[in-house]
Amino acid sequence: MPAVSPNAPYRLVRRDWGFLGEFRAMASPCELLIASHDEDIAYDMLDMAAREARRIEQKYSRFIEGNYLWRLNHADGKRQSIDEETWQLLAFAKQCFELSGGLFDISACPLMQVWRFTQDAKMPVKADIEAARALVGFACIEFNSQELLMPQGMQLDVGGIAKEYAVDRVAYELAESYAGISVLVNFGGDIACPVANAVPWQVGIEDPHQLDHAAKVLAITQGALATSGDTRRFIEVEGRRYGHIVDPRTGYPVNGAPRSVTVLGPNCVTAGMLATMAMLQGEQAEDFLAEQSVQFSIFR
Amino acid sequence: MTNNNNKLDSIAPQVIQAKPQTKHIASALALASCGLFVANGHATELAKNADDWKVDAALMYYGEQDRVQAIEAIGTAQKNFGDDSVLDLKLVVDSLTGASASGAVAQSDSQTFTRPSGNGQYKVAAGETPLDDTFHDTRVQGSANWSQASDWKVNGGVYGSKEFDYMSMGVNAGLERGFNKDNTTLFLGTSYSFDVVDPVGGRPVALSSMAIRDNFTTDEAYRAAFDATRQTSSDDKQTVDLMLGITQILNQRWLLQANYGLSSVSGYLTDPYKVLSVVDNNGTTEDIVYENRPDSRLKHSFYVMTKGALDSGVVDFSYRYSTDDWDLTSHTLETHYRYYFSGSFYGQLHLRYYQQSAVNFYQPFLLADTQLPEFASADYRIGDMSAYTIGVKFGHRLSGGHEMTYRLEYYQQDPKNNGTTIPGELQNYDLFPTQKAITAQFSYSF
Repeated sequence: MPAVSPNAPYRLVRRDWGFLGEFRAMASPCELLIASHDEDIAYDMLDMAAREARRIEQKYSRFIEGNYLWRLNHADGKRQSIDEETWQLLAFAKQCFELSGGLFDISACPLMQVWRFTQDAKMPVKADIEAARALVGFACIEFNSQELLMPQGMQLDVGGIAKEYAVDRVAYELAESYAGISVLVNFGGDIACPVANAVPWQVGIEDPHQLDHAAKVLAITQGALATSGDTRRFIEVEGRRYGHIVDPRTGYPVNGAPRSVTVLGPNCVTAGMLATMAMLQGEQAEDFLAEQSVQFSIFR
Repeated sequence: MTNNNNKLDSIAPQVIQAKPQTKHIASALALASCGLFVANGHATELAKNADDWKVDAALMYYGEQDRVQAIEAIGTAQKNFGDDSVLDLKLVVDSLTGASASGAVAQSDSQTFTRPSGNGQYKVAAGETPLDDTFHDTRVQGSANWSQASDWKVNGGVYGSKEFDYMSMGVNAGLERGFNKDNTTLFLGTSYSFDVVDPVGGRPVALSSMAIRDNFTTDEAYRAAFDATRQTSSDDKQTVDLMLGITQILNQRWLLQANYGLSSVSGYLTDPYKVLSVVDNNGTTEDIVYENRPDSRLKHSFYVMTKGALDSGVVDFSYRYSTDDWDLTSHTLETHYRYYFSGSFYGQLHLRYYQQSAVNFYQPFLLADTQLPEFASADYRIGDMSAYTIGVKFGHRLSGGHEMTYRLEYYQQDPKNNGTTIPGELQNYDLFPTQKAITAQFSYSF
């Protein structure tokens, strides 16, 4: 008998193609489109997905005091032992840092905190930006498969990959347990379809000029889709729009970044990282993605 | 021209600078991401429970107004062997108390009846429908069924039940095969059961008069008269059922199912505890006789059902027609509508309407000045009647696959006169009283 899990507000709705499962995690609406009419299976898949998403959120959210990430961020310059999963995430983040020439940096948190992207926010002063920049730089972080050593004051923020990572992990687990059942995992627009479906899933891509309206519809049989964008978070100072994508090298938001970038990739973290890197390329976003030979969609 | 050249010169170096080695980032990322999903050490234990026992426990209460009450405990267990074979086990224990209509009619004076055992008697007040109040029993019933699916789906099972005066044993087997990409399924099922009836006090001699102690001067004389109405040995009953069915998937949402069933019963089919009143032209009871039914019965039934998946619910409608060589014909209309309030909570509405015509030997009473028929029964259950059921059920799915259901049903049965003229004083009484019952069930599966 399966163990009793904390009662969660799941929703499982019958559809003519199977079941739609819904829950909330990582500050996003999460859904599972399950191409099976077996309610027990659908329920089990939904239960698996919600547990895994919440596990990752609990462990790596920057907003939960005392959690795993919080303890790493409050080590005060001391050596910390890390688990296998964290090591893999750090190794991946390091690759991203290097491949992007320092554009993508999970230690950029202090800089992001200087920039407030709310309606009434002001431009931060240069001194604050410089002070924050001093605490940013993935290259200063030492780690191996067992331990992490981070200079005092530096912080990790895996928010830039956690949601995509959760989508992939859930997709991976579902495909392992229910290899024959096609499922679409969608956590707030980051999507993975681990098992090929005979009938492609129709995925709408939001038009940043007309939120909640699908501008394009993409048919996916297998793969992943991730979106990076500043459609909902920006400030305008003297008529200039500053998006929430900050270049950690300069300390300033990227110039000419698209409104949103959507990339189709083999898995969600790859797609998500390509989308984020494209955003960081600013005006060269299209060129960057064209070179990667991936399918993408950019709104400016 | 010069302008254009200038522009190119000033922009070109910038563009090149802004482009680091970006060519193979996508494949490098894809490769790097692989490490994230190989390490599975921290994966939560999310079991596929294909190999687990699935157990259901239910408690049911059935209560007729002023009459029979039953408490039933039902336990079922299902084991899925993962190789498409399934074992189902079921155990039911129920306890019955209360009285049921004996078949005799109400009178303007109080009436005395002998208990089925012959030991003692009971009185029924004037104007009351005679009930046999000695009715209480405990029944234990168990069954095991095994099915195996491949191209052909086969199943087989055994069944047994025991109560104080009755025992039943049975075997069943079925064969199922899908055609037309499994859009059509044909089913053939058969069962055989052997029952032993061993009534309290022995089986009554057909249509013999009930001996009543008050009419005899000595216990010996009464006992001799009572014994003359009894056959001491037990008797048996055999049933052979055959069923042929087809299920057709109509489209993505609807399916249709149709069955034909043939049932042949032979042996002791009389209810040993049911009697008939023999009345004169004024409706006054002169005698009480034990009922008698033919010793064979052949039934045919036709059933059609359609079931559909709605956006957030399931609905079905069914109709059953049944007829037999006792001339009992019945029609049943039934529907269930289930609505999912959420993925884990549903409500279900159940409506059923049933109507039957009486068997050809049904008589609410016998007339004293006519010859006794070969077969006669005043059992309201085989007389003209209509009945309906209204029920609601709620199911709540808990985390971890546990499920709770609650069911409440109201049942009302309205027996009708089959056209018999009611003589004299009997017109003052309701010979066909309405019967109301409530069923409540709670079940938990884990």
